Amino acid sequence: MKKAWTIALNTFHESLRKKTFYILLVVALVVIGASRFFSFLAAEDELKMIKDVSFSTIEFFGALIAIFTALAAVSGEIEKRTIYTLLSKPITRSNFIIGKLIGQSLIILLNVALMSIFFIGLLFFKKSPPDIQTFKTIFLIFIELILIGSITLSVATFATDAFNLIFSFFLYIIGHLISYGTQMLERIENVVLQRLGNMLYHVIPNYENFNIKDKIVVGVDVSWQYVGQTTLYGIIYIAIAVLIGIHFFYKREV
Amino acid sequence: MALIETRELSKVYTLSSKKSVTALNNVTMSIEEGEIFGILGPNGSGKTTCLKLLLGIIFPTEGEISIMGQNQYSVVTKKNIGFLPENPYYYDYLTGPEILKFYGKLFDMPPGIIRERTDSLLELVNLNNAKNLSLKHYSKGMLERIGLAVSLINDPKILILDEPTTGLDPIGCKETRDLLKKLHDSGKTILLSSHFLSEVERVCSRIVIFHKGNLLTTGTLESLLEEYKAENLEDLFVKAIRKFDSETGQTEEDAINLQSSV
Ligand SMILES: Nc1ncnc2c1ncn2[C@@H]1O[C@H](COP(=O)(O)OP(=O)(O)OP(=O)(O)O)[C@@H](O)[C@H]1O
Ligand SMILES: [Mg+2]
Repeated sequence: MKKAWTIALNTFHESLRKKTFYILLVVALVVIGASRFFSFLAAEDELKMIKDVSFSTIEFFGALIAIFTALAAVSGEIEKRTIYTLLSKPITRSNFIIGKLIGQSLIILLNVALMSIFFIGLLFFKKSPPDIQTFKTIFLIFIELILIGSITLSVATFATDAFNLIFSFFLYIIGHLISYGTQMLERIENVVLQRLGNMLYHVIPNYENFNIKDKIVVGVDVSWQYVGQTTLYGIIYIAIAVLIGIHFFYKREV
Repeated sequence: MALIETRELSKVYTLSSKKSVTALNNVTMSIEEGEIFGILGPNGSGKTTCLKLLLGIIFPTEGEISIMGQNQYSVVTKKNIGFLPENPYYYDYLTGPEILKFYGKLFDMPPGIIRERTDSLLELVNLNNAKNLSLKHYSKGMLERIGLAVSLINDPKILILDEPTTGLDPIGCKETRDLLKKLHDSGKTILLSSHFLSEVERVCSRIVIFHKGNLLTTGTLESLLEEYKAENLEDLFVKAIRKFDSETGQTEEDAINLQSSV
């Protein structure tokens, strides 16, 4: 575990050297900041707008950072051949994958924290300090982002960057639309396709589960129980993704 | 008992469903404790492949490896190994001391010991005056030298070096050679690969010659020179390769091409 932590810190520092992190962060802050200029709206609507835009921004840009960081975490190491020295040291391949997961999760944490601080500052500025529901929303986004990153990390152990990038974004979109899946499945007539669709429906992570902002923004509270269950749902998916990643990385020749 | 042993080790790289490269073919060899063992061979003969197999970075298609009585994936065994890859490359935003600290931590070494070893190793590889320089500003020779320091951070029993003198100038080569002798004297077993003949000639107690993934011959330099009636290592090299090629039906032309590439 100590070795995984050493690798995690190294991954964290290395990711902080990347320009993408700062560019995405600045753009996200600009978008959050801009949300307050919809001042033609009534005060109450403006606040909803700020929250809505900010939560979406934190989620979307967080997802971009999660995917790009995870991509660089494995293939960057292989491309630059730093992996040779690393794997010749007394670490297991699971140390490596778990270290990478922790490292990229720290980057996501930092990113979400910075965006949230800015957003919360804005709320204070608008004389509407955040309540616990706001933090629940951000927390679930954070879990979702770790999940997104862990899937990209896992795919990186056996697929090319190009495939991984397309796959990750595709999954990001599908994962958000999957709630509509049952309606679509009913319309499919081919039995085989329907079975297949049904299977995918149960396998693909439902990212919308982590999205409670629509309720929070209009003032509907979300229970701790829901937060707990959804977190557990996320952790199970993260664990599966990491196990798949470890499995393939043990077979990977670098 | 031998410190490192390979038994009928083969590695076939699959490029596509139809194309494959046999990079190593049925290699059986053993390296005894306290040797400086040299793997010689022209470009593409399988030297790097062999070393990567020994470190568990890639996996054999056929055959077995044992290092200190364990297989090559044993984390415990790796505590006793230092490795310098071919054209080493490290996290280039770190400085020399930071790199050594990072790898030292992977060996669970206490911070105090890491600091001590860092100082003495930077001294040893002559990088003491570049302590604050990040690796991206290093020259090729400096990278090779920090690589040597990295491979020594854990004070390993076994040192595996893939072409440790590429990129070094004649003085750097000599310094490395002297360093290898010193390490050998302190009881380390060294396995190195090289296609740079004169260097190997001077430090190795025993050599193998690889060619197209095959182990052509092995022994001490004197015994091989005698066996092949060769004047020097270079001559031996060419003769061994010619003999192999004629036995396996290669043309004289191939051999000459090889000779010019040596
Ligand atoms: N990952 C790989 N995929 C496919 N073929 C490979 C791979 N790595 C090496 N080879 C092939 O295996 C053979 C042996 O390569 P290897 O790198 O072991 O040679 P080498 O003796 O180290 O050469 P050099 O002196 O140039 O470093 C070569 O023909 C090479 O093209
Ligand atoms: Mg090589």
